[in-house]
Parts: sequence; C-alpha cells; structure tokens
Amino acid sequence: MSGDRAEFEKFLGLSEVLTGFTKFRLQGTGQGALYFSTLTDVVGQGTAGELLQAWSGVAAAAGQDEGKLERLMRSEILSHEKLGPIARNLIKLWFVGTWYQLPAAWREVFGTPERDRSFVPAASSYVEGLLWPTIGANPTGAKGPGYGTWADPPNIPKV
Amino acid sequence: MSHLSSRISRTDHASASTQIYDAVIVGSGVAGSILANELGRQGFSVLVLEAGPGNDLSIAEYEASVERFYLSASKDNNSPYAVNRNAPMPRGQETVKLQPGRPNADGYIVQNGPLELDSTYTRVVGGTTRHWEGKALRLIPEDFEMRTRHGQGLDWPLKYETLKSYYAKAEAEIGVSADVEDQGYLGISFEPGYVYPMRKIPISYLDQVIGKNLDGAKVELDGETFSLVVRSTPQARNGVPHPGYDNGKGYVAPSAVSTHQDEMGQRCQGNNNCVPICPVQAKYDARRTLVKALETGRVHLLSQTVVSRVHIDSGNGRVTHIEYKAYKDLHGKEHSAGTVKARVFILAANAVENARLMLASGLPGSSGLVGRNLMDHAYLLTWALMPEIVGTMRGSQCTSGIEELRGGAFRRKQAAFRAGIHNDGWGWATGAPYTDLLALVDDQNKFGRALQRGLVDRISRQLLLDFMVEVLPDPANRITVDPDHRDQLGNMRPVLSYRLNDYTLDGVAFARQLSRRIYQRLGAEDHTTYSPQEPGWVDYQGGGFVIRGGNHWAGTHLMGSSPKNSVVDANQRSWDYPNLYLAGSGSMPSIGTANTTLTLAALCLISAGHIAKELRSAPTAAAAR
Repeated sequence: MSGDRAEFEKFLGLSEVLTGFTKFRLQGTGQGALYFSTLTDVVGQGTAGELLQAWSGVAAAAGQDEGKLERLMRSEILSHEKLGPIARNLIKLWFVGTWYQLPAAWREVFGTPERDRSFVPAASSYVEGLLWPTIGANPTGAKGPGYGTWADPPNIPKV
Repeated sequence: MSHLSSRISRTDHASASTQIYDAVIVGSGVAGSILANELGRQGFSVLVLEAGPGNDLSIAEYEASVERFYLSASKDNNSPYAVNRNAPMPRGQETVKLQPGRPNADGYIVQNGPLELDSTYTRVVGGTTRHWEGKALRLIPEDFEMRTRHGQGLDWPLKYETLKSYYAKAEAEIGVSADVEDQGYLGISFEPGYVYPMRKIPISYLDQVIGKNLDGAKVELDGETFSLVVRSTPQARNGVPHPGYDNGKGYVAPSAVSTHQDEMGQRCQGNNNCVPICPVQAKYDARRTLVKALETGRVHLLSQTVVSRVHIDSGNGRVTHIEYKAYKDLHGKEHSAGTVKARVFILAANAVENARLMLASGLPGSSGLVGRNLMDHAYLLTWALMPEIVGTMRGSQCTSGIEELRGGAFRRKQAAFRAGIHNDGWGWATGAPYTDLLALVDDQNKFGRALQRGLVDRISRQLLLDFMVEVLPDPANRITVDPDHRDQLGNMRPVLSYRLNDYTLDGVAFARQLSRRIYQRLGAEDHTTYSPQEPGWVDYQGGGFVIRGGNHWAGTHLMGSSPKNSVVDANQRSWDYPNLYLAGSGSMPSIGTANTTLTLAALCLISAGHIAKELRSAPTAAAAR
C-alpha cells in the first residue's frame, strides 16, 4: 500500500466514525478522493497528516471498544484546539458537501490558509450530501423522488 | 420537443436599430413574454430587450444554472444566476440592519429605510419567474374594491368579473394545477364548466397531518366566525392534465424549453427547490412563453441590452425612441449605446425597474405617482416542531395553505392574510437544514450516529407557516433614483423607502396569535423568535416582529380611473404618453393576499388585446409590416 493510499484509508476510517456511515456508504457518494484532497489542499499536508495520525492513535488505542472510541475521539480530536475544528468541517463536508471556512479563532491561532473559504468542491458534492438520506429526503433540487411521492408517510431509516 | 433554431428569426443591434417595430418591449419576464407572444401571434413585429445575459433558452444554459446552484455555498434565491455587474440584481443577503439616517448603498437597491426589505428579483431571460415558487392564486373579488367595500386602500378601475376570463387564459398560459372544487371561496367564481388545466398537485403528508387536526377550527374576528381548513394551493407546475379541460378537449402540459430529455418539463418530481430553480423545468417560467413568441418568427430578442432612457416628443407627448446600452460581458463595462424605435413601447421590466427607468428618464408622471405606492407582501414567518415525524423536505415547497382570512368585514380595521404551509422546513426563517447541522456539530458536539439521530429529530418534524399579510398602497413607500448611486454602466440604481403601517401590523399581530393557537391545537413546539437586531424588525406594542419580503413588488405605476389618481389606465396605458404602456405588477392598486404573477399575467392579456386593436386602427399599421 502506497503512502497516499494508506493516508486515504485513514481518512475514510476517521470519516466513518465522524459521520456514522460505513466506508462502503461513504465511497458510494463518489466524493471520498475529492474530500481527501480538499482537506489536504485547504489545511496543507502537514496539518492533515497530524489529524490522521491522531486518528490512528485513537483507533489503535480503542480497538473494538466503542465507548472508549467515543471518549478518545472527544479527548484527542474533537476537543483539540487545532484538530477539532477540522474534524467538524469534515463532518459538514460529508453531510452537505460544503467546506465551511474554519472558525475565526482557529484562523487567528493557526493561520489563514489561502483556500480556506466556504465553498462546494463539486456540484456532485452537494448532490451526494449525506444529510438528505439521513432525514428520508433527497437533496433539494436533485434526485427528484417522483410525482406525488410526498403524499405518502415518510419512511426514515432507523439509526 | 422544440427546434428553436429553425423557427426563430434572429437579429442584432445594428439591424434592430434600422427597423420600426410595431412594439418594443423592455423585459423578457412573464409580462414581457406574454405581451410579445400575443402580439407576435397576431402578426405584429416585436422587439424584446432583456438586460440579463445570454439566450438562456438552451438546455445547456439551464443546466449551467442548476449547477451554479449546486456549487453555491449561499443558495439564496438568485444563486443559480451569474453575478452580472452590468445588470445587477438585488440579493437577500445584501439587506442588513440599517442605522437610522444612514442608507445602505452596498447592494444593488439602495435602502433608505426606515424598514429594511429583503425582497429580490432576477434580471435574466425569463425574469423573476426563473426563481419564483409558482403559487398561482387569484385575487378575491373584494380585493378589487378595497375603498368601496372596506374604506381602505384603492379601488381598481376593473372588477373581478372583468378579469375572470383572463384569469382562466392566464392559468392556461402558465399551466396551473388546481381543482376548482377547492378554490371557490370568498366569492372567487369561475366561468361555467371551468376546470383548471391540470389536476391539483397532491397535498403533502405534512398537510394531511395538519388538516386532520386543524380543519374546522373556529376563529373569531370582528364579529365574524371563520372555520379554518387546509386547502390545496394552485400552482404553476406540471401535474396531471385534466381530461375535462376546455369542454373536454383536454390540456397538453407545456414542456421544458429546448429539450429532448424525457425527464424534463414533465410533472413535478418533488425536488423541493421551486425557489431558486426547478431542476427539471416542471415549474413554469416565462421562457416557455418567450419561446412561443420567438417561434412566431415576428419577435426578436436582444439580451445583454440595458434600457437606459425613454425619450418623449415634447410636442405630442409620444415616445419617440428608447436608448439602450448593450454590454459585451458580465464583468467589464465595455458596451455600445444605441436606440430602437417602435409604434408602441411597453415597459415590462418589473415594478422596481419600470419605475427606475421612468424616473431615470425624467418622467415622474403628471400625477407624480411613478415609483410611489410600492407594495410587497409583509411575510411573518412562524416555526414549530410537530409532535411526530412528518417528512419535512419532501414535495414542492408548499402544497397547501389556509385561506379563510383573506377576506371579511375585519378588513375595515386590519390587514387580511393567508398562511402557506411549508414542506421545506424552517429554511426561509432559520437557514435549515444547514443551520441545524451546524448547531448539532458545533454547539451540541454530536458526531456519528448520534448526529444522524439529531438531524432526524430536528429536521423531520419541522413546520413553517408563512403568513402573507396584505400591505396597502402608501405614497411614502417608493422607488426613487439618485445621480450619486449608479451601476457600472452609469444607470441610476433604484433607491427604496419603505415602512409598514398599523393596518398591516395589526394583521401581523393577529397572524402571530393565530399561529400560537394553531401550534397549541397541533401539539407542536413553537420555536419562533424575533430579534430587534435583525433587518425587518418592527416594534409593535412593546414587542415586535421580523417582517420578510415576498418579492411581490407592485404599485409603482398603479392603474386607476383618472390621470390624477394613477399612472396607467385599466389597459396599463400611460395616461401621459399615449404610445407607452407600463405592464406588470406595478399596475396593481392592491395586492390583497395573492402572489402577483397570475394577476399580472391576466392584466397583460387584457393589455395585449387592447394594444393589438390600437395598432390595427392606427393609420400606419399595415404599412409598417
């Protein structure tokens, strides 16, 4: 496995935990590679590497213990001054296809990467946002469900 | 299936300037397109000047707009349309809280206040119907007689009965889906045997849940008792054609513009995105009518052509020519100026742009009313969480409403309103579902499956009621121009002054109270809050509300019975300049509680008949063709 491929696998592993969707489902959006490159393009390879390294540590330490995984996710990544906002941005990217500009407080401390502004990486990023299937709907303006379907009761998958 | 290129007769600025058209129309929105189509079909030569870019008549251009929407981080109602520095358009996010005495000149419309108004319009081929939602309600008969019946506002120079058959024609032109059985309330009547072109759009599951719990609820107001009912809303989007339409001849639903793809221009697919763009062209936009006009071979279209001045012959008071600036691209200011001539000139650029153009041409009208009496509906948004999952974010954006309080004796004292039930959640009020995601991730520290559960809980129970409250004509509410505020081409930008009076605010307050009762009855959690820090905040009896605009600009060249009380007559003809027409919702002396498009479409059908007659009777009619 090449270095890049290994990093990408880590990225998918982290994304699984952040989103609650399987790698299979995440890859099914067709956005995995694009989001990985979005991450590295915006915050730089060094910072992206720090995040993925922290994730590797969390994953190794937690093993199959879900409670421990959640605790470590919070203590090592989500509450981490530098990595937390980036991890939260990855959640938003997967759910609505938008990279949101990092919080002002982050930018004051860690710099203002040139590409860190709010943007949608590709039209398909919006269309493949995972928020919509989560709520039993389709993205507004895409994947039209068909005439009259809205008259039926909603059928939202149990989580 | 259209074959645009073979049938359309094209022109360019050089040849257009050598011709004398029967009619020059400014604007290719719903008013301009209907007038162009009607006149073209009757054999007249017509030139349509559109300030916006491109032809926008190909599927590739349409899909570029859809993609621009996908790629936009803001997704406001002009997000599908390219930023254009030569024909700028207002955008909701430009509306910010005003400081007293300090206008906001940062957006296209200069806002003078005292109240901010976040309404927009779209300067592209097809106009604001590109982003409209498609509600196609008729006004009710008493809306035409506000002064006589209620002692408020103004009477129209025509009555509902006169407009009735034109409403039916307009419903055919823009393709309305509704059932007559549902729509005959508060005096609305139809021609004998009338059915809408298409059956009603099915009402959403959310509507059904609300109806089950709300139908029959009693409301007392000014001694009258109203019994509420959840009623399907007439919509200009494709549904199932009614076999009984036109005495059994049936109705062929209009297709998308310039497409060969089966899934385009067919029935509404429930994309929940009518505003800002229907991705499958199930919703009417004026390009459908414009294409029919162009296919007559007698209608020319010049886009990227911003009209800058209307010229009058001071001797006979007739318009001699119109001056324009045609720009090369959307960014640079490179342009060429030119003029066009016609026998009749029709301004159909919308209520703001028509007034702006008249005033920029030094033509305030002998009544001084051009630009005054600007109206828009005052929207009060209220939002709640239903006790059960109702499947928010499915269907067209609204499929039902509550109409009972659109009319009644109470209108002597306070404004009427209707309520729209939103299938698209709290988006309009709060920015849902994006803001829900951000709150769950950033503030509630949710991730993984807990985040998924949080999203379902927060979004799938959302209900938003929009209360569309009547606004009366007030001469102080107006569009003006100011040489200090110009766009890149040097055209003066519209300057807006706007306030709301107690008549409207009493209606708003009643609507808020009613919304509380509705939520109590539904067992819904009321999450509505308004902040004085938001634009649109109005103080009211120690509290206040935030009022949002409805993009229903009207009244700036209102019609009336004499040159003293109005700008145009019942045919939308200028009292001052006999070969000039000002068409569109600017002609409406009242807006009641109906979205303006259907009514302005009906008015333009009346005007088209009148203009055709005028053109035929004038001595040069045959020679000019």
